[in-house]
Amino acid sequence: MAIRASRGDVGAFRHLVREHSGLVYRVALRILGIQDAQDASQEAWIRAWRNIENFRGDSAFSTWLYRITVNTCLSVRRKESRRREREYSGDELPFLPEPRGGDADPEAASLGAQRREELLAALDHVRAEHRAALVLRHMEGLSYAEIAQILEVPDGTAKGWVSRGRAAMLVALARDENDHRETTT
Amino acid sequence: MMPSGDQRWEILEKVGAYAANELENEEAREVERLMFERPDYRRLAESYTRMLVMLNTLGNEPVEVPEDAVGYAVRRAYVSAFMRSAEVLIWDLGRSYLDAFVYYLGLRRESYGGGT
Repeated sequence: MAIRASRGDVGAFRHLVREHSGLVYRVALRILGIQDAQDASQEAWIRAWRNIENFRGDSAFSTWLYRITVNTCLSVRRKESRRREREYSGDELPFLPEPRGGDADPEAASLGAQRREELLAALDHVRAEHRAALVLRHMEGLSYAEIAQILEVPDGTAKGWVSRGRAAMLVALARDENDHRETTT
Repeated sequence: MMPSGDQRWEILEKVGAYAANELENEEAREVERLMFERPDYRRLAESYTRMLVMLNTLGNEPVEVPEDAVGYAVRRAYVSAFMRSAEVLIWDLGRSYLDAFVYYLGLRRESYGGGT
């Protein structure tokens, strides 16, 4: 289908859009948040159509599409003023409180609306490249080789970005938890 | 001795990699030794594990794609394909008219349409 679309077949492209729209919107939503996700996913598909004649099938179509989507999201972020990653002074380690239900309820089944908001707010404090790597690794479940291919960086860099993103996210999440607890007590 | 800021960040990342099950045997044993000595590192690893479970859960949640996000891209593709075809058609028509005009003016000796 991707090869047919690369030869200018709009019907085949429409089929690809229907099939992969979830991937594009989901990644845009996780990297940019709900305000920018729709515009970014539209832009990603427009870029995909403009560049599809260059798709040769050397990599999976999904990998190629991930790359376009992530690049689109990162360029949206670069247009904004540089966001500050939550600084870690190192004075104390970032901890998350125990879930109320204890270990039997490790928040695995579903996330409450508030918890989801907290997670997304904490993600927002992670530098864009690190966040993209973190999303691809821990939310999309991709391997480091795939992430490196998508972000067009060496494997080691992809690993480093995920690692830094993970640490920055925990720092932000723990700080948000503490702030929240201070305001409610 | 208290670790420096960089060392703390390094430990923070290393414990994160341990929680994500990404360390080789030797490095994993080293982190386990640290956690055995320092209960706060163990708590840190538990916090990471909780965060990673939440991220995974969020990643697995179904996302409803707004119809506009899909429809707009397809419409643009159709319009762009139409414009491309129209451009080719106009270009071919223009060339044909130019050829006919050149033939009419007698600027070219061979007959128009490939005849004798």
